[in-house]
Amino acid sequence: MSQSGTPRLALRGLTKTFGGVRALDCADLTIAPGEVHGLLGTNGSGKSTLIKVLSGFHAPDAGTLEIDGRAVTLPMPLGRSEAHGLAFVHQNLGLLPEATVLENLIAGDHERLNPWWINWSKEAGRARRLFAEHHLALSPQHVVADLSPVQRAQLAIVRAADRVQEHRSHGVPGTLVLDEPTPFLPQEDVRELFALIRRLTARGVSIIFVSHDIDEVLEVTDRSTVLRDGKVIGTFETAATGRGDLVEAIVGRAVAADRRVSALTPAAPVAEVRGLTGAILKDVSLSVQPGEILGLTGLIGAGHDEVPMLIAGARPAVAGDLTLNGRTYDLGRMSPADSIAAGIALIPADRQTAGIAPELSLTENATLPQLRGSLALNHRRNRDITADLMARFRVKAASPDQPAAELSGGNQQKLVLGKWLQLDPRLVLLDEPTQGIDVGARQEIYDHLLALCAAGGAVICATSEFEQLEIIAHRVLVFDRGRIKAELKGAGVTKAAIAKACYEMAEEHA
Amino acid sequence: MKWRKNMHKSDLSYQMERFGLIIVWLAFIALFGALRPDTFLTWSNFSTIFGSEAVLVIVTLGLMIPLTAGDFDLSIAQILTLVSMTVAILDARMDLPLALVLPIGLALGALIGLINGAITLYFRVHSLIVTLGVGTFLHGITLWIGNSQTISGVSPMLMEWVIIQRVFGVPIAFYYAIGLAVAIWYMLSYTAFGQQLLFTGRGREVGRLTGVAVDRVRLTAFVLSGMLGAFAGILYTGTTGSANPSSGTFLLLPAFAAAFLGSTCIRPGRFNPWGSVIAVYFLVTGINGLSILGFRTFVQDLFYGGALVLAVMISQLVSGRKDRGL
Repeated sequence: MSQSGTPRLALRGLTKTFGGVRALDCADLTIAPGEVHGLLGTNGSGKSTLIKVLSGFHAPDAGTLEIDGRAVTLPMPLGRSEAHGLAFVHQNLGLLPEATVLENLIAGDHERLNPWWINWSKEAGRARRLFAEHHLALSPQHVVADLSPVQRAQLAIVRAADRVQEHRSHGVPGTLVLDEPTPFLPQEDVRELFALIRRLTARGVSIIFVSHDIDEVLEVTDRSTVLRDGKVIGTFETAATGRGDLVEAIVGRAVAADRRVSALTPAAPVAEVRGLTGAILKDVSLSVQPGEILGLTGLIGAGHDEVPMLIAGARPAVAGDLTLNGRTYDLGRMSPADSIAAGIALIPADRQTAGIAPELSLTENATLPQLRGSLALNHRRNRDITADLMARFRVKAASPDQPAAELSGGNQQKLVLGKWLQLDPRLVLLDEPTQGIDVGARQEIYDHLLALCAAGGAVICATSEFEQLEIIAHRVLVFDRGRIKAELKGAGVTKAAIAKACYEMAEEHA
Repeated sequence: MKWRKNMHKSDLSYQMERFGLIIVWLAFIALFGALRPDTFLTWSNFSTIFGSEAVLVIVTLGLMIPLTAGDFDLSIAQILTLVSMTVAILDARMDLPLALVLPIGLALGALIGLINGAITLYFRVHSLIVTLGVGTFLHGITLWIGNSQTISGVSPMLMEWVIIQRVFGVPIAFYYAIGLAVAIWYMLSYTAFGQQLLFTGRGREVGRLTGVAVDRVRLTAFVLSGMLGAFAGILYTGTTGSANPSSGTFLLLPAFAAAFLGSTCIRPGRFNPWGSVIAVYFLVTGINGLSILGFRTFVQDLFYGGALVLAVMISQLVSGRKDRGL
């Protein structure tokens, strides 16, 4: 790794605004040849916007990009990044599970392949050489679905490296962007991946390593850059930097948000979950009392977002039960209909497919939960109910007959909230309730949740937005790899404290 | 968003969209009427069309129910053929009373619908493939039990109550079809089940999380389409007085064309019974008129095939060219 000479890649003055919010504010990033460069920051710090500018997905408002000293015009046309020696491996890896290793390896390799005839035996030989070079135990004929998670990650990384090494017009190694490649990998597999990363950098490949895991960043990177609120806070020589400095840079001294909840008098819980186990969650127990907003949070792969889905019976739990109002339910066998009957409402994160049916009208969307058992629908009554609900939840729309797709995200979410709150639920479960929603609608949603609690309801809200929790949560549980690792209460619920809890807990299993 | 800001009932372009197909239909009638007033524009021609195409109307209505729930039932035409053949054999060959034969026919349709639904839902296979296979299998059974021959000699009682009895000069089968259209219209617009069908088709995950038993709804839709296919089969036997092993084969495409064309009018963007009824008679009027003008049988394929493609193009335009999983 060298600091002198021409950088492999240099971004200068990168600025990008989304609807008045500066996602990137004059950000600089310099990557040296053959270095592993960490990119750190919380949700909304601008790191994913930066990656999307590099891949050509976003056009920046201002800023320049130089690769090996040559200016590259931004926005880079989609699909042109490989020609500039840039390749991306995203968290989902971009592999087709039912295809073979070889098919995945050569998929999209248009520059090298003869479009009229693929010489499979030659390609298989080439793949074997490639895997041998990188000391990988992969066979070209294996089906990707049969590979272990770490083998899949290795395949995706080697494929990306292969693309930028082979097709460079000016014969220099390229840059790989690894965007959160590790959150679902066990510790020993991460080590294997790091060995691969080191072999690549030994050949001169540069790597941008995007991660939330400070230990991993400390272990594998040469330098790292921290982003916060769209600004570069600093670039650190990793070896000379302590974890405390990095956490400090990531979290900052956040300005306190307006906290809108005060301490609760302890009371008997209205709902208790015991031994909840799911795809990520392992034997989690929690409870919520009447009038309480309980926040659940964590980093990618922590499992906090699984809790609402499992309690509402949207997906069957592996194990666990729920006691609500004195009745106990087996969460392995709970259906959505059972949970509704029990007085539970779920407001899912994926609004477009799980929250509303976009082609159907507001009335149809809002009245669906009330229809069970009715033989003759009274359209006028349903329309009136909807009009009333639109007024109470301030859903701005031309009429109750309008298709839900025509509403803004904020109005759609208020409609979904109204649809469920009209049933007077005892327990409301939310998953990222303010994703893609403007500031005004966000406040209105908080108002409704606070009003619900004032009336004795209970709320469990899973979110990765720490500020939201500081504003509305009485108590916050911080998750890590499927378990609760910290609990914050009352005045302790601050954005900074939550972030600290999230980032520092990695220490325990380092 | 760009296509239509809202659906105010007074909106002129929306009304044009709703009644466009009827206007084109009337224009067709006027055109053929002007060209061939003495053959086309007669009550007997129309009453024949109304009566004989009742079978197609019912197949279309049957198809519409799984389509609303997001499933295809390609086997419905072969259910018709098999039930038609079964009824003819039980009645003409085995001399069983109609009071027994007709319920057997309907139960057979329901059973096949149950099988379609069970395979689709249990194995999570696309209904298009399941019903394509089941339909072909049923056709094999039809050829086998009927010895690949037309079975005639069905009891006159059945014909009496399908085609011979007339009300205002129109065979009674037409009124059965209209009665079913009323029932399905009521079911889709005024019952909770209708809304559940709609959410199962258009927002399956939303429906599921709101407590709709989507699998049960889909299964019920297949059973209903099977029963409507069976009912159409009974009417077919009654209309011709016989069962013919290839009768249903030529009904599947027209029924699809009518269902999709019907979804561009009356309640644009949704499969709806009145749109389907109008679409069937629009298509049949066109073919009848063209054949009276002397065009040969190829116009059927041109017309039905063209209408199906045109209908899906129009419905995509109406919904603003969204990607839809058809």
